[in-house]
Amino acid sequence: MQSVLSVRDLRVDFITRRGALHAIDGVSFDIAPGEILGLVGESGAGKSVTGSAVIGLIDPPGKISGGEILLNGDRIDTLPAEKMRKIRGKRIGMIFQDPLTSLNPLYRIGEQLVQTICAHLPLDAKQARVRAIKLLEDVGIPAPDQRIDSYPHEFSGGMRQRVVIALALCAEPDLVIADEPTTALDVSVQAQVIALLKQICADRGTAVILVTHDMGVIAEAADRVAVMYAGRIVEIGPVAEVIRAPRHPYAAGLMGAIPSLTSDRDRLEQIEGAMPRLSNLPEGCAFHPRCTQATDQCRQARPDLNANGAHAVACFLHEGDHI
Amino acid sequence: MTEAYVRINDLSKDFDVSSPWLNRVVEGKEKTYLKAVDQVRFDIEKGETFALVGESGSGKSTVARMLVGLLAPTDGGATIDGISLAGGRRTAQTNTVREKLQMIFQDPYASLNARWRIKKIIAEPIVSLKLLKGRAAIDARVDELLTLVGLHPDDGSKFPHEFSGGQRQRIAIARALASNPELIVCDEPTSALDVSVQAQILNLMRDLQDQLGLTYLIISHDLAVVRYMATHTGVMYLGRIVEIGAGRDLFLNPRHPYTKMLLDAVPDMEYPGRPRTAVQGEIPSPISPPPGCTFHPRCPLANDRCRVEAPKMIENVACHAIEERRSLP
Amino acid sequence: MPANPSSQGRMARIMDSDLVFGFLNSKLTVFAAVIVLLLLVSALLTPWIAPYDPYDPTQLFIMDSHIPPVWAEGGDWRFLLGTDDQGRDLFSAMLYGLRLSLTISLVGIFFATILGVGLGLIAGYVGGAIDALIMRIADIQLTFPAILVALLIDGAAHGALGGEYTEDTAFMVLVVSIALSFWVKYARVVRGSVLVERNKEYVQAARLVGRSPIAIMFDHILPNVMGPILVILTINFGLAVIAEATLSFLGVGLPPTKPSLGTLIRVGQQFLFSGEWWVVVFPGILLGVLVLTINLVGDWLRDALNPKLR
Repeated sequence: MQSVLSVRDLRVDFITRRGALHAIDGVSFDIAPGEILGLVGESGAGKSVTGSAVIGLIDPPGKISGGEILLNGDRIDTLPAEKMRKIRGKRIGMIFQDPLTSLNPLYRIGEQLVQTICAHLPLDAKQARVRAIKLLEDVGIPAPDQRIDSYPHEFSGGMRQRVVIALALCAEPDLVIADEPTTALDVSVQAQVIALLKQICADRGTAVILVTHDMGVIAEAADRVAVMYAGRIVEIGPVAEVIRAPRHPYAAGLMGAIPSLTSDRDRLEQIEGAMPRLSNLPEGCAFHPRCTQATDQCRQARPDLNANGAHAVACFLHEGDHI
Repeated sequence: MTEAYVRINDLSKDFDVSSPWLNRVVEGKEKTYLKAVDQVRFDIEKGETFALVGESGSGKSTVARMLVGLLAPTDGGATIDGISLAGGRRTAQTNTVREKLQMIFQDPYASLNARWRIKKIIAEPIVSLKLLKGRAAIDARVDELLTLVGLHPDDGSKFPHEFSGGQRQRIAIARALASNPELIVCDEPTSALDVSVQAQILNLMRDLQDQLGLTYLIISHDLAVVRYMATHTGVMYLGRIVEIGAGRDLFLNPRHPYTKMLLDAVPDMEYPGRPRTAVQGEIPSPISPPPGCTFHPRCPLANDRCRVEAPKMIENVACHAIEERRSLP
Repeated sequence: MPANPSSQGRMARIMDSDLVFGFLNSKLTVFAAVIVLLLLVSALLTPWIAPYDPYDPTQLFIMDSHIPPVWAEGGDWRFLLGTDDQGRDLFSAMLYGLRLSLTISLVGIFFATILGVGLGLIAGYVGGAIDALIMRIADIQLTFPAILVALLIDGAAHGALGGEYTEDTAFMVLVVSIALSFWVKYARVVRGSVLVERNKEYVQAARLVGRSPIAIMFDHILPNVMGPILVILTINFGLAVIAEATLSFLGVGLPPTKPSLGTLIRVGQQFLFSGEWWVVVFPGILLGVLVLTINLVGDWLRDALNPKLR
């Protein structure tokens, strides 16, 4: 089956007066239809930049400096701005973190939905409205035929995020990029929104890139997860495997550092130091200064993602592993 | 029974959210108040870590600010070591209290003055409370504090923007320790930090507690962090405490329906996809909260009494259903 | 790899900053800044570089009057840009006029800054009734244009002092007029910044350790609102120069016995139709260049300090 999205050796640089910063340095992954891929990492790892690159929203001084992005087999990273605009919304939808600023406060949500639908689908305003009401119902807004004429501020945070999801889905895209969709929401609402996202995408067969720093959300929502560090993917595989048995030392340290709700921990695992700044990346493996198992090879050469089946690790310590 | 080290006594806070005077006169409106905190009462023992947990609008941050004197309570008060805490005014006695009480804030970027050097930031409590005399003594103490939190004395001459979020939080901790406090109130101390950095800071806080005999009041929305750090936890909903639990008990045997709902809703890394009871509704607006028990619209056990009468705290939980020994059929 | 910022000395750090980099990159701004600097230095060194002292009546000879610039017919090498009707050397008069214009503007803006920033800090930090009071006074102040304020003060000064009204009084009148007209912008902007900073946690941390409101205002908040203050300073400087020139031109400012650039233009206007264009044109050009270059530097500074553009 063809992947919905295929990213090959993507590189994104930010040009500063001190030289080029490699925000993303050779990232590759595929997403199958209906699959939810989690992109997890700490600040500066490059996960948001990856999402922005796929949807073509990298602004200068940043630019895609290498690699390919293929949407259902078609290359989209080299498209001119006009064509990319058409793809955005129609074939790739986006959900941002803050529902307060994702919706225009001056327009009723019905207007925003109808505008987007009409922009991408050959429907007139009446048909678009019917479709919009159906969408609001699908995302769980009660009394959608009345609430379609409400303004964003008349909704609560969780409801607003549901509207944003509806907006992202209204043109029936093949892929949705969700950038920290639950971070600004209360815990009890987070669960609702995650469940909604999963269900909607299963129903429609939409693929999702779920960008977040919250491993709990990934565990609940994603099928596969890619752990990013300093602009590179260090481990990628099925969610349960990566969480229960992480192989890359950084991924392992990350899982160990997360406090548990259900079990007692004597002490949280600590990774000394901090993620290096892009202007100060070390030679060889980007993680080696903080790695307790670093060897000379790690200090000199950069490990590639060696894919053995579905679970791949970029680490010299696991080169010969059969997973 | 010996009195607890810190007592919070029926603390309440109302915010005036009325329209401006002219609007009210013209439109004939009444004044509107937001009851952010409603008769909150709990005790903190010396050397322990008490956590206040809740979602937005729960009032937990407001309680913290009233405790340290940044906000004047509308009603009620608090005592630390028997000394009453009066908000706001600057007296000699208040200064004694100020020494004992310190705070760490959520945002590591806004909690340090961007124009000041680290040394000056950390020394401020010492200078303001006149704890040490002479440049040399103060400098030595600052160096000592920097080392205590895992930084280097040379860092004293740098500016905040030269540090990462985690390092800034360490600086904030060093500043909080400068006056040799007994109680440190931590308002979401790691919410703005990455997971691996959070682990460093939480471990540091624990180590410092062991080393210096500190007492912590931690405000957080992250239940996993609370489980790791707290000896007692108070769960807040719309300005009221609904349950107080000790250690793991709260997490293993939650009693209040809201606590149960909350724990059920947290996305869990270790048991993903477990069956959950669907969460009902969202937090209502604190300006016009539901009458009676504020949780009743979302509670599977709500009855008529819940709709009119606010439950009192009995044996550390405020719930009619528990009092009446009712449970789901 | 760039050097570790904290290991550099302070000067090196400033020179390495984005601000200086942007400045040096903009040729126009550098050019404008050089001119401003040149004019400031000239004004400073005027007593030494001016060929004559135009206020000294003993140096004036009526026969030297109405001489055109040196390159025109009838020009004289002694008077590079010509003379006025009293025989004063225009070049020297311009230099002294520039000196006066700049002094008045700078002193006026200085007081406006102190007044405006002080009131803005208090209004923003203390809030409540005091804030409302200060802002209403600001609103009222804005309804009075600078010229009207100057006329009122001037009139009051004349009435009070009568014959003792001297050129120095005129100086003070201008300074006070400028200060009163320009403080409002500072107050408004500083108040806005203070409202933002006041809620930040570093201010709360300072309150926690018992620092007084005054200490917090000046020690904590003021350094963080310097950006907007600097921008307004540069805008106001250009505006003050024009304001002073306008007032002098209208006759409310400095008299012809101690002329500023504005006065010179007014005086020269009278001779325009008799063909003596140089008394109006040269001071006019100088004034224009001064204000233009100040504004160019101010424009650049405004963009450079705009956090949204960074």
